[in-house]
Amino acid sequence: MTDHSLPASADIRLEGVSKSFDGKVKAVDDVSLAIAPGEFFSLLGPSGCGKTTSLRMIAGFEAPDAGRIRVGGADITDVPVHKRDMGMVFQSYALFPHRTVAENVAFGLRMRSLPREEIRRRVAAALKQVALDGYEDRRPGQLSGGQQQRVALARAIVIRPPVLLCDEPLGALDRKLRQSMQFELKQLQKELGVTLVFVTHDQEEALAMSDRIAVMNAGRVEQVGAPAEIYDRPRTRFVADFIGEINLFDGTWDGGRFIAGDGRSLPATMNGARPGAGAVAVRPEKARIVAPGEGAVAGRIESANFLGGQVLYRIAASGDRHMLAKETNMGAAARPVGTEVGLLWNEADAVVLEG
Amino acid sequence: MSARSVDAGRLAYYALNGAIIAFLLAPIAIVAVFALNPTPYISFPPVGVTGRWFVKFFATDDFMVALWLSLRVAVVVLLLSMLIGGACALALARGRLPGARFLTAFFMSPLMLPAILTGLALFQVFQLAELDRPVWGLIVGHTLVAVPYVLRTTLAVLANFDTRVEEAAASLGASPMRVFVEVTLPLIRPGVIAGGIFAFIVSFDQFPISLFLVPPKGETLPVVLFNYMKFDLDGAIAAASMVSILLALSVVLLLERVIGLKAYVKL
Amino acid sequence: MTANRLTRRAVLSAGAAAALATIGAPVILHAQTATLKITTWGGKWGDIMKAELLPAFEKEFKCTVSADQAFPFVPKLQASPKSNPVYDVLHTNSNEQWSSLDLGLVEARLDHKKIPNLADVYPYAISDKIVGVSIFTSAIGLGYRTDKGLKKPTSWKDFADPALAGMRGGYIIPVNSLGQCHLMMLGKIYGKGFTDLDAAYKALEALKPIKLVDFTGQMEKMLLAGEVNMGVIHDSGVLRYEGQNQPIDFAIPSEGVMALEQVLNVTPGSKVKELAYAYIDYMLRPDVQKKLAETVWYSPSNKKVKLAPKYDARLFNTEAKVAQLIQPDWKWYNARKDEIDTRVTRLLKG
Repeated sequence: MTDHSLPASADIRLEGVSKSFDGKVKAVDDVSLAIAPGEFFSLLGPSGCGKTTSLRMIAGFEAPDAGRIRVGGADITDVPVHKRDMGMVFQSYALFPHRTVAENVAFGLRMRSLPREEIRRRVAAALKQVALDGYEDRRPGQLSGGQQQRVALARAIVIRPPVLLCDEPLGALDRKLRQSMQFELKQLQKELGVTLVFVTHDQEEALAMSDRIAVMNAGRVEQVGAPAEIYDRPRTRFVADFIGEINLFDGTWDGGRFIAGDGRSLPATMNGARPGAGAVAVRPEKARIVAPGEGAVAGRIESANFLGGQVLYRIAASGDRHMLAKETNMGAAARPVGTEVGLLWNEADAVVLEG
Repeated sequence: MSARSVDAGRLAYYALNGAIIAFLLAPIAIVAVFALNPTPYISFPPVGVTGRWFVKFFATDDFMVALWLSLRVAVVVLLLSMLIGGACALALARGRLPGARFLTAFFMSPLMLPAILTGLALFQVFQLAELDRPVWGLIVGHTLVAVPYVLRTTLAVLANFDTRVEEAAASLGASPMRVFVEVTLPLIRPGVIAGGIFAFIVSFDQFPISLFLVPPKGETLPVVLFNYMKFDLDGAIAAASMVSILLALSVVLLLERVIGLKAYVKL
Repeated sequence: MTANRLTRRAVLSAGAAAALATIGAPVILHAQTATLKITTWGGKWGDIMKAELLPAFEKEFKCTVSADQAFPFVPKLQASPKSNPVYDVLHTNSNEQWSSLDLGLVEARLDHKKIPNLADVYPYAISDKIVGVSIFTSAIGLGYRTDKGLKKPTSWKDFADPALAGMRGGYIIPVNSLGQCHLMMLGKIYGKGFTDLDAAYKALEALKPIKLVDFTGQMEKMLLAGEVNMGVIHDSGVLRYEGQNQPIDFAIPSEGVMALEQVLNVTPGSKVKELAYAYIDYMLRPDVQKKLAETVWYSPSNKKVKLAPKYDARLFNTEAKVAQLIQPDWKWYNARKDEIDTRVTRLLKG
């Protein structure tokens, strides 16, 4: 049943995969992805964007209506779940409540009919890897959420899968625990060298952990790239808006210059954008607060939120618009609310969006 | 003032609980008094303590034959209804059957129908088929009203069932059959067994359906007791009731102990 | 058709046999001998029937008797096919025979030629108040405690004595034929006759407070327990304690006692009619009658029965004594039963 000749990690290719549950709305719409061996790859997007469905198709829980899925070069589109040899971790942990921790972890090895002694050894090793040695005889109900998720992780990796699939695995944990688990999971993935597909709606999590991210919206992939690329160079209005905070300006490209709706020219380089209607975006931390007359845009400080290392200003501009600007906290007092200010940025920091 | 009102509330709480327990236990207490009292009629206060009614119960062949039959029928009904009810519940919860809601209502319907009509209808069918009144007919009748109990309890477990657990097992290499045996079955077992215990009691105590379906010399204990009551109302009836209660109780405890109901499941 | 049916039956019976075998339930083997299906009472009556009288009958007539003691007999008979009834002989009280006749479940008239012993029964046993034949009767009168300083009742009117308030016992009339008899008797005593319901209702209301039971057998327990000091009861329910030092006795009111008849009848669709008639004839034999009468204190219908002195003293077994028996008109009563039930239920509420 198990092909032990598989390498420690394998590449995954989705080729034009589509899936509809009701025959009308496409949950996943013509998605193509190439995930490299050993990569930490995130599927990021709001709920209903098709990220979980995509993952479930890779796992084999759902069959695509169209397209092929290949792992390590082999077409697995029609291979049943239990023959795919993938580890899977769920948000709800999905541990077997009627079995002990050790029995949970041993399950996949037992299905592979491994010798008892080897099972024992590998279970112990896997539990050690997730720092749960000594918990062998507990039942899942007796463990905390974080411990349960570590058991689930151990259960998935103990079968040494070339591919590990995680469906919002940290979603049920509280913030602090989540951050330490993010770190642990990333460590573990690098140690094992496994290809990891990670589904999340939490952009911070995706940015922090991933080698590459695919941002999905309405069943389609909007952009694939490394975290910095996704953050600094969002290609579409959706990605720009979904990842972090950003100031969006609609306007027109005219002779290599970007003219905003109010007729002002904004700092931006065309960078291959088509002439005509367009949009640019500026991250709040890239926007400098200057005197009202010196800015590309002007407004009045409406609020100042102290974020610790930074202060986030909300600035009301003309025409009912609001803009955000972040300044590093240098120890000086925040600018008072009501101050008239201008905003300025480098041309290179203005991101040109498609469409 | 506030301390006093708390005390009054607590007192009322205990009083209510006491009243409910008394309400539930009073009939059993009356039966126990009747069973141990030497007079052949209910008298209060009791005039003494005797085991003669228990002796009479155990020494009367009619009672023993009926008790034994009732027990065997109840065990068969227990097994059948666990099998049928469990399978039906799985099919209804998982099968993506068209009209699953209607089917659920349909399987539950024996509970809505007066049992006496179910008994009469089955009797009529058996008579028309010239089968007279076979024991398996009685078992069919009992199973019919016992299955809904298993169905209900199993559906309740399935409603809270995280199907991801099964997916996890499949992803770990378990074939659909192994997923069923290793994961699904153990997880729905408490529901099936809880329903099975109801089924056992429903069958063991069954009167309205048995009334029509028992053949001469093949009467179950409740029917024998009912007929006995019409002619010889004495403490043997109460003794029989006590024995029935204790038997049913011990079956419940035994099943609980042997198969375990609450060991690992958060119901 | 016949062949098919036989095959189907064979298959079904095989299934039945297998089911029986698996749980080891008592298997009733139907060999080639004929089976007579009857209803019969439980209690001491049932004991003596099962232990002696039925085995003797089976031996003599080379047949098997399947005796159903589990009520309710008439609904079961009604639910079974008329051409293949679940009983060959129906044994009930008289009132149920009348309702069965209405439903076409029993013969309107027995074939006297097939039951020679009918020649020896008292006329009441085959009167026009009876469908079938009454093989025994009990007398519905008044039972009372002898230790409460009560005068032995001589009239039904003594039951209305205000001193008995709350300590008299009657029946839930809709479900008990003794209660129904009592109601008719009230019409006779306080009104124009057994059918004077208005007078009966009035008299019944005057008996409140009264303790009511549903099963006939409960009344004797109420008397024994001292829950009631006087109650409407059949003589056998009191007489069976004779010689047991119980402080209860039975009184025959001067106005007469109501007859509680044990009636046998044959079902029209019976496949073993000859055997059914033979059974009725058997039950009327003097030796069988004596045995049962002396077991359960029922008055035998056969004039030729010679009872032991203690039974002879109390049971209705002479022309003179039998004359005290009043046979209720069940045909009349059954026709009004629903209306009466509604009325008395309301009347006795609270």
